[in-house]
Amino acid sequence: MSGKRKKIVAFLCNWCTYTAADLAGTSRLKYEPDIRILRVMCSSRVDPVFILKALMDGADGVLVGGCELGDCHYQRGNYYARRKVAVAKKIAADMGLDPERIRLSWISASDGPRFAEVVNEFTREIEEKGDTPVKHEAYV
Amino acid sequence: MERIYEIQMGIEELARRALETGTVGGVAALLEVPETNKIAFTLVRAPEDVKGLAPFSPWMLENAARSISQMTREAAFTQPVAVILRPCELRALRELVKLKQVNMTNLILISFDCPGVFPIGSRLNGNGDLPAAYEKAVLEGTNCPGIRQVCSACEEFVPRGADMVISLVGRSPTDTLRAAFPTEAGQKFAEALGLLAEGREVEAGEERDRLAGIRADEHNALSARIQGSLKDLDGLVSVFDRCISCHACRYVCPVCYCKDCFFESPAFSYYPHSLHKRLEQSAAGLRLPLDRLLFHLGRLTHMGASCVACGMCEDVCVAGIPVSQIFKTVGGDIQQMFDYLPGGSPDDPLPLLTYREDELKEMED
Ligand code: SF4
Ligand code: SF4
Ligand code: SF4
Ligand code: FES
Repeated sequence: MSGKRKKIVAFLCNWCTYTAADLAGTSRLKYEPDIRILRVMCSSRVDPVFILKALMDGADGVLVGGCELGDCHYQRGNYYARRKVAVAKKIAADMGLDPERIRLSWISASDGPRFAEVVNEFTREIEEKGDTPVKHEAYV
Repeated sequence: MERIYEIQMGIEELARRALETGTVGGVAALLEVPETNKIAFTLVRAPEDVKGLAPFSPWMLENAARSISQMTREAAFTQPVAVILRPCELRALRELVKLKQVNMTNLILISFDCPGVFPIGSRLNGNGDLPAAYEKAVLEGTNCPGIRQVCSACEEFVPRGADMVISLVGRSPTDTLRAAFPTEAGQKFAEALGLLAEGREVEAGEERDRLAGIRADEHNALSARIQGSLKDLDGLVSVFDRCISCHACRYVCPVCYCKDCFFESPAFSYYPHSLHKRLEQSAAGLRLPLDRLLFHLGRLTHMGASCVACGMCEDVCVAGIPVSQIFKTVGGDIQQMFDYLPGGSPDDPLPLLTYREDELKEMED
């Protein structure tokens, strides 16, 4: 991939997407190295403030990853997570930030390839968008 | 169809009679002391103290849901208390019930269709005389120039969930009362005071509908204005550039009830070395204090779904930021997404504490 690396913050749930990321690694799958992974116990732990804080601190993208609906280790967590991401996206859109820099994906523990695919796809989208304007703004 | 009764008394007399008959042990409402130009939300317990009761006075010095919360949060009233609130105060109160900050036991909720209020400053710096233009606007069912922007654009000016709903729009402040009693508690209250027996049933005027139409147009205009000013990062920065991070907007907000606000917690205090590192890494430099804009974005995530658009936050903003117009607009969008009206049905759970399985597909991947 050409050009400067982007900064993508990924909040991944311990039981599924993080495990999938691990699997992608042990299976030696290649994916774009622009992401910084933070492990959370469940996608529902991702407070919308985390997402907006990352964006306001200059992240080019934020990925939230959780278990497939119905498979959450805590049973219903990802349904709540979806509402939280929806709130973050709505606020971003209304307040002059780009909601497309926020992505929510369900990736199950056994799906290393899907993890690599999502990361590559999202990285490409973010590259097309270019640097977040927040990076060049002191007055945030 | 709601039944409206003409009652042969004004608000002071109603309160006096409620206290004298022992129907209530207290009346909580705005009270004016004209000699000193003082006005405050007050709990009156003695019939002789109802003089100066001024619930229709077009100023809101606080969203009174906060006072009711303070008086009932830990222990409910032990005898009935009539509280007279504006519709947005009532909605905040009902929202605070869901947030476990209010105990509604023994509250008799009285409200009225609200013509709007003026910014606080006009009262504090002015003489408190009711502007003639206001009376005229109330009588005609129009917006009085100079009221809060969010009032001009308020479509929720007819109270929800009140036990007694006074018709104010279309009336003069010196007229006798017209009111409906939509709930069982309201009916009982009216009966105890003999209001229904003495009262005469009347038709609703058309002024309320006229005002509703005007407000709907104003609401659209307000949303368009705010959206236009916040369409990109430059917009966001220029709107909030003046913010001095005093957080007064959240102090006065009725639904920002937290004793320890997250945005004042150690989560946002940085050690020098981390600040220095940020400075080194930032292409643009950093303006301190940090997280100035994040405060607003974050506050919206906390209570945008519950914002009742009362206008308090904007009134106290020393920087002149249209805070309540922004929160009304963005909060309204969040509410719409979840089909939620803050202070509406007590059966609707807070949007972030519930979900539907078959929703928001567009948020995934
Ligand atoms: S009241 Fe105004 S200046 Fe103070 S924090 Fe709120 S928006 Fe900023
Ligand atoms: S955010 Fe402002 S307008 Fe909304 S409820 Fe709080 S004080 Fe009222
Ligand atoms: S901004 Fe959030 S944490 Fe602070 S008082 Fe409001 S709801 Fe509570
Ligand atoms: S544990 Fe994975 S989404 Fe809840």
